[in-house]
Amino acid sequence: MHNTRYTLIFTLVLTIVSATILSLLFFGTKDRADLAAKIFEKRAILSSVGTLLDKDVSQMTDQEVLDIFKNQVEQEAVDAQGNVVESAKITQSGYNGGLPEDIEMAKERKKPEDQRIYPVYIFSANGEKVYILSVRGNGLWDEIWGNVAVKSDFNTIVGASFDHKGETPGLGAEIKDNPAFSARFRGKELYDNQGQYTSVAVVKGGVKDPDHQVDGISGATITSNGVTEMLYRGLKEYEPFFNKEKG
Amino acid sequence: MDFINVFIKSAFIENLVLAYFLGMCSYLAVSKSIKTAFGLGLAVIFVLGITMPINWVINEKILGENGIFHTDLTFLRFILFIAVIASMVQLVELVIEKFSPALYTSLGIFLPLITVNCAILGGSLFMVSREYNFTQSVAFGLGGGFGWFLAIVAIAAIREKMRYSNVPAPLRGLGMAFILTGLMGIAFMSLMGIDPAALAGK
Amino acid sequence: MAEATVKEVVQEKEPLFGKKEKKLLTDPLNDNNPITVQVLGICSALAVTSLVYPSIVMAIAVTLVVAFSNLFTSLLRTYIPKQVRMIVQLVIIATLVTVVELILKAFNYAIWKQLSVFIGLIITNCIVMGRLEAFAMANKPWRSFLDGIGNGLGYGGILVIISIIRELFGKGTLFAGSPAALNIIGPSNEINKYWINTASSSGFGHWVGSWYFNNNLMVLSTASLFIIGGIIWIHRTYNKKLVDIS
Repeated sequence: MHNTRYTLIFTLVLTIVSATILSLLFFGTKDRADLAAKIFEKRAILSSVGTLLDKDVSQMTDQEVLDIFKNQVEQEAVDAQGNVVESAKITQSGYNGGLPEDIEMAKERKKPEDQRIYPVYIFSANGEKVYILSVRGNGLWDEIWGNVAVKSDFNTIVGASFDHKGETPGLGAEIKDNPAFSARFRGKELYDNQGQYTSVAVVKGGVKDPDHQVDGISGATITSNGVTEMLYRGLKEYEPFFNKEKG
Repeated sequence: MDFINVFIKSAFIENLVLAYFLGMCSYLAVSKSIKTAFGLGLAVIFVLGITMPINWVINEKILGENGIFHTDLTFLRFILFIAVIASMVQLVELVIEKFSPALYTSLGIFLPLITVNCAILGGSLFMVSREYNFTQSVAFGLGGGFGWFLAIVAIAAIREKMRYSNVPAPLRGLGMAFILTGLMGIAFMSLMGIDPAALAGK
Repeated sequence: MAEATVKEVVQEKEPLFGKKEKKLLTDPLNDNNPITVQVLGICSALAVTSLVYPSIVMAIAVTLVVAFSNLFTSLLRTYIPKQVRMIVQLVIIATLVTVVELILKAFNYAIWKQLSVFIGLIITNCIVMGRLEAFAMANKPWRSFLDGIGNGLGYGGILVIISIIRELFGKGTLFAGSPAALNIIGPSNEINKYWINTASSSGFGHWVGSWYFNNNLMVLSTASLFIIGGIIWIHRTYNKKLVDIS
C-alpha cells in the first residue's frame, strides 16, 4: 500500500516529466506551426483571386504560395480614415510582427471603429492591380470571415473566399466547402449606377438585381444573412481607403 | 441579458448531446432507466457548472499571454483542464458520500464516469474557442449541463416505453437507442430558428 | 466504460506473437468492437465523419494514443498509487493527445483546423480510458500495446465505413481534401481530374450534366447515428451472440 507522501511525489514527478516533454515539443514545433498557419491564411487570400492564377490554389505547394506572395502581392495596412499606416502603428496595435498580414480581424472587431486597422493585399497580374480586402462577421453558430478581391475601380468584384469557425457542415459550411458559392460573387458590383454604396447581398429564392445579389444556400438562411451583413459592413469600413485611392 | 442569452442557446439550440453529440458514451450507457438518468444528469449539471468558471480562470489568468506568467502556455491546457475536472469529480464524490450516503449508493458508480464524459471537457474547450467572458462561461456551464440533463432524461423515458414495442431482435437496445437519438437530434434542429437575442429582450 | 469493464487478464508465458496476441488484434474488429459492442468513443465517431480523409487521420491519432497510453500505463501499473489512479491515467492520455495535436498543427495545419476541438476530445474518448482500466492496468506492456492497436483499428474501421457512406451520399465525393492521388470521385468540370465526376458536363454521366444531387441528411452529424444503428443491426444479424435480450 502506498502512503500519501509517495502519492504526492509520484504525481509531482509525472506532471513535471510530461510538462517538460510537452514544452520541448511545443517550442520545437512552434515556428513550423506558425508558418503553417500563415500559409493557410495566404492560401485563403489567394483563392479569392483564383481566376487570375494559372493553378488551383489547393493544388499548389506551400512554396508556390509563398513565392506568389513574395513576387506578386504587396501588402498595406489602412486605418479607419483610409490612410496607409506604418509598420510601427501595426506593432503599436498589438501585432509584434509589424506586417499587415499579422493583423487579426477578430481582434480588430472588438476595438472601437475609429481605432481599427485593416489589411489590404494588392495582387498584380498582367499589369493589372487587384485589391484583396478582409471582412469578418457572424454566422449561425460562430464567426465567419472572408477575403474579397476588387478591381482597381474599387467597384467590380474579381472573386471572394470564405471561411468559418463552426457552421453546420453541408449547410452554412458550404460558404467555404462549395466553390460554386464564392464563384457567384465574380463580376458583382459594390456601387449602383448612381454611385451609391450598395454592397452585394446573399438572397433567398431568386436574384432580382444581378449586379448586387447572389443566390443563397438553401437551408442556411442565417449564415447567408451573416455573409450579407459582413460584406456590407466590412467593405464599407474600407470606403475611406477607396475614396483616397480614387483621389 | 448575456447570461440568459447564452443559457438558452447552450441548453436548447446548441444542446451538447443533440447538436454536438458530446457525452454520448454515458448518455447511451446510463439511459436505461429514468431514475439513474436523472441522478447522472444532476451530477453533470453540477460538475459542468463548477468546472467551467474554474477552467475559464485557469485559461485566462494562468495560460494566456496576459496571465501571471506572461507566456503562451496553452499547450498545457488539456492537462490542466482534465486535472480540474478529475479533481472536481473526486470532490463531488467525497461530498456526496459524506452528506448523502443514499444518493451516493445510487449514483456512486456513475460519478467517475463523468470525468470521461466528453461533454465536460468539450464544454471547456468550446468555451475557449468561442472566447466567452466569465459571466458567459458560467451561463454556458449551467445551460450546457441543463441541456444534457434534459436529453438524457428524455431518452431514458423513451427507452423505458420502447421495451413494450416490437423491435427486430438485432436492433433491440443499443441499435434502437442510436436511431432514437438521431430522431431526437433532428427534432432539436427545429429549435435553431430561435433567436436568443430576441428572447433576452434585445 | 459501459457494458464491458470486466477485467480481462491474459495468462503469462506465451510466445511474443502467438494465438492470444493475434486475438487481441482481431477481437475488437468483430466480437468486441469498441463502437458497436462496447459503446465507447461515440462522440468523435459522429462529429468528424462527414469526410473520409479527416476520419482516417482521426482513426490514426486515436490508435496511436490508445496504443501508447496502454503501453505507458502498463509499464507504470505497479507504481501507480490507487487513490490517484484516474488522474495519473488522464495525465498520460492528455500528454499523448497534446503531442498528437502539436505534431498535426505543425505538419498538417488544414486537417488540424478541420478537426479542431475533436483532437482534444480524444482525451475523453472513452475507448482510451476504458482500455486502460479494463486491460492495461492488469496486463503486461506488449499485450497492452497490441490491445490498444486492435481497439484503435476496430474504432477506425467503423469510422471509415461511416465516413465513406456520408461523404459519398452527402457530397458526391470521396477523399475530398486529401492528396491528389486519392481523388477518385469528386465534383468538377475538368475532365480527368477525377475518375468519376459527380458534377461534370463530361466524363462519366456527362449526358445529364451535373447528375448527382447531394443528400443533405447525410452531411449532418445525425446521419451517423442512423448509420451506426444500421451497422449494429447488420452486425447483430450475423453475430447472434451479441443480440440484446433485455
